[in-house]
Amino acid sequence: MLKYILQRAALALAVALVVSFATFMLLNYATDPASALAGEDATPEIVEQIRQTYGFDRPVFVRYFEWLGGVARGDFGESYYWNKDVAVLVLERAPVTIALALSALMVTIVIAIPLGAIAALRPNSWADRLALTFAVSAQAIPSFWLGLMLIILLGVMLPILPISGDSSWQHFVMPAFVLGASSVPAVMRLTRTGLIEVMESDYIRTARSKGYRGFALLRRHAMRNALLPVVSVLAVQLGQKFGGSVITESVFAINGLGRLALQSILGSDIPTVQMLIFIFALIFVLMNLLADLLNAALDPRIRIT
Amino acid sequence: MHFLKAITLAALLGTAVVNPAMAGKADDTLRVAFVEEILELDYNYTTKREYIIIADLIDENLFEINPETNAFEPAVATGYEYIDPLTIEVKLRDDVTFHNGQKLTARDVAYTYNWIIDPESESHPGPGHATWLKSAEVVDDYTVRFHLLNDYPLAIRDLATRVSIRPENTYHVDGKVVRNAAALEPVGLGPYRVVSFEPGQELVLERYDGYYSNSPKGDVPIDNIVIRTIPDIGTQQAELMSGGIDWMYNVPLDVAQSVEGLPMVEHLSGPDLRVSFVVLDAAGLTDPDGPLTNRQVRQAMNHAVNKADIAQYLVGGSAEPIHTPCHPAQFGCDTSIQDYPYDPEVGRQLLAEAGYPDGFPLDLWAYRDRSIAEAVAADFEKIGIDVNLRYVQLASLDQARANQEIPAYIGTWGSGGTADTALIANIHFNATTDRNLSGDEKLTELVLAAEATSDQDERRRLYTEALTIIADEAYWVPLVTYSVNYLINSELNFPLNADGLPRLYSASWK
Repeated sequence: MLKYILQRAALALAVALVVSFATFMLLNYATDPASALAGEDATPEIVEQIRQTYGFDRPVFVRYFEWLGGVARGDFGESYYWNKDVAVLVLERAPVTIALALSALMVTIVIAIPLGAIAALRPNSWADRLALTFAVSAQAIPSFWLGLMLIILLGVMLPILPISGDSSWQHFVMPAFVLGASSVPAVMRLTRTGLIEVMESDYIRTARSKGYRGFALLRRHAMRNALLPVVSVLAVQLGQKFGGSVITESVFAINGLGRLALQSILGSDIPTVQMLIFIFALIFVLMNLLADLLNAALDPRIRIT
Repeated sequence: MHFLKAITLAALLGTAVVNPAMAGKADDTLRVAFVEEILELDYNYTTKREYIIIADLIDENLFEINPETNAFEPAVATGYEYIDPLTIEVKLRDDVTFHNGQKLTARDVAYTYNWIIDPESESHPGPGHATWLKSAEVVDDYTVRFHLLNDYPLAIRDLATRVSIRPENTYHVDGKVVRNAAALEPVGLGPYRVVSFEPGQELVLERYDGYYSNSPKGDVPIDNIVIRTIPDIGTQQAELMSGGIDWMYNVPLDVAQSVEGLPMVEHLSGPDLRVSFVVLDAAGLTDPDGPLTNRQVRQAMNHAVNKADIAQYLVGGSAEPIHTPCHPAQFGCDTSIQDYPYDPEVGRQLLAEAGYPDGFPLDLWAYRDRSIAEAVAADFEKIGIDVNLRYVQLASLDQARANQEIPAYIGTWGSGGTADTALIANIHFNATTDRNLSGDEKLTELVLAAEATSDQDERRRLYTEALTIIADEAYWVPLVTYSVNYLINSELNFPLNADGLPRLYSASWK
């Protein structure tokens, strides 16, 4: 098991390194960071001053390895855009995004698993069809549109929820729903398929013969096995919530990592983009690893050597 | 039934627990939304427009430019006098205090200007001011002398616009240089002082009770201003409709028009000094024998574009077509120069006479206002030019232009809100700038000469001569002036100014 974890950790590091190199090159070659930082009406003198202040006039490879050396020492550099230590900046923004991602995942679980169960209990019934229609619609709706529709309904017409910002838990209700809704279809269908498959197995027939019916049967016997693949998907979905937060955080003016990523990319803030990409890549790989480990813990039949 | 009950209960609960800070008269707080993040508050270290709007609230200049008359009015200075062509003496008022209660003296002013031009400061106005200002000297408590390196006609304008005055030694803490000392809590002289500031999120300002009387900004009517960053314009619109904010600007025309008629919202459209134009590679930097080196081709392109339609339908509001390479409201922008009326037929004839009866392929670069770029490209195609529109990020365009890879691009320029042709002419026609695709040395001489004299009539004459050359040679295809759309709470009065700079301190409740 330890070997497996070490292998996966090494893989995570390799992925993060490749991604960081590609990002650094793209940001430096696709655009001129000095003029991006200076803004639209900046005079050439100001652009040149910024170029020299931040050392953009030096070879890009030299700067990349300097950055990498800093990272190895735990120094992620200073943000050009925010004039702040990148690590501090990210730590300040992370709690909001973690809260948003976890609430979104809760929304997904609370909606998708019961819907999947209802659909599985009565396959091909009207309830199943309705759940499926809901799932397909949720998948088809772009998150920024859903966000704006919710804002109009719950923020402007009713109005019962705050529209933008992140200063109270109420601010997270709409964004968590928007971010969570996009994962509902995948999780719901997987729950449904898993349950239908499990419900046809021998041990369930035995449980039925003992008198278990309906949700008692699901809860006591079927769920644990049916949810194995769902757990893996949820772990990966949590990783995607961090990436998905870019749009949701912008629509709802939430000051988290997603918005920071967007601002940094638009502002060519290389150190911040580097660190965020590094973190997002790491989260993805770690979530995959977590999914495997969770599966192993939930199912004694799965053993990783 | 249960469902209905649940919904009703949820709504009631929601209303009870949610207490969004409602905008409006009630708490005398003007709530403003910007798309841009505000990262720091010291205008001596920032450039973007939003920072000018904020500096206008927190800081004071020696002089203020009257947006209607373009005249310099005394602000914290009572007046100025040229002791000789290279020495300006400025007298200060004796009743001006910083937000910390400290009195403003000549030492603060001299310190600020000497620091700004010191290369060690790395300040943003530094490189510009260092071209004309040698030093600032304290004469007595309320008198400062500015020693100039050369005769510079825009000195008073520069003293009136770009530098925020700070208390002496602001940037020197315990003998060490601290460039960002005023980034988060600037001590200013303006009508509002900073209460709290979270970079990228929210700035809270309140009226400064010690603000000096009879300032050009007048007594500010509103007690509190809260500026928030809301990156999505649709979300801003929803906040405005639900009473969460009172003021938003740079609203796209279609968004602004979509809420016209709602009782809680008012749509204002004001002028902007920003103009757009097509710059043509007349010098042949990308191709020494290319079609754009031919004057008739450039004139043909000037006849090709239907600017009036672009102004009316794509920019809207108070936008106007222009034929000058400057905003007509700017000093020295002579509108009597040659105009090329919209006439694609004449354009086609000129192209044929120039030896391009079947047109030619052209890479047209652009970085903002895609609809305008597409309209211009379509108009060029109507006279036979095969346009390949390259719509890119600003930084990419800047880079390609620096590498002399751009035969033609659609540029825009806001002149930093300053109504003087110098602000657009120098950066586009000085020989040292990569924006200058004319290759015309005479033009550079004229533009520089207009900045080397304080004789305003002479400056006007020099600009007229320069603009005449630009028009006759058709170095540019001037397009339109911009307008700025605002959406505001209908309970708010918000006067608009000719220079297009929104002055939040002039807002008041109806």
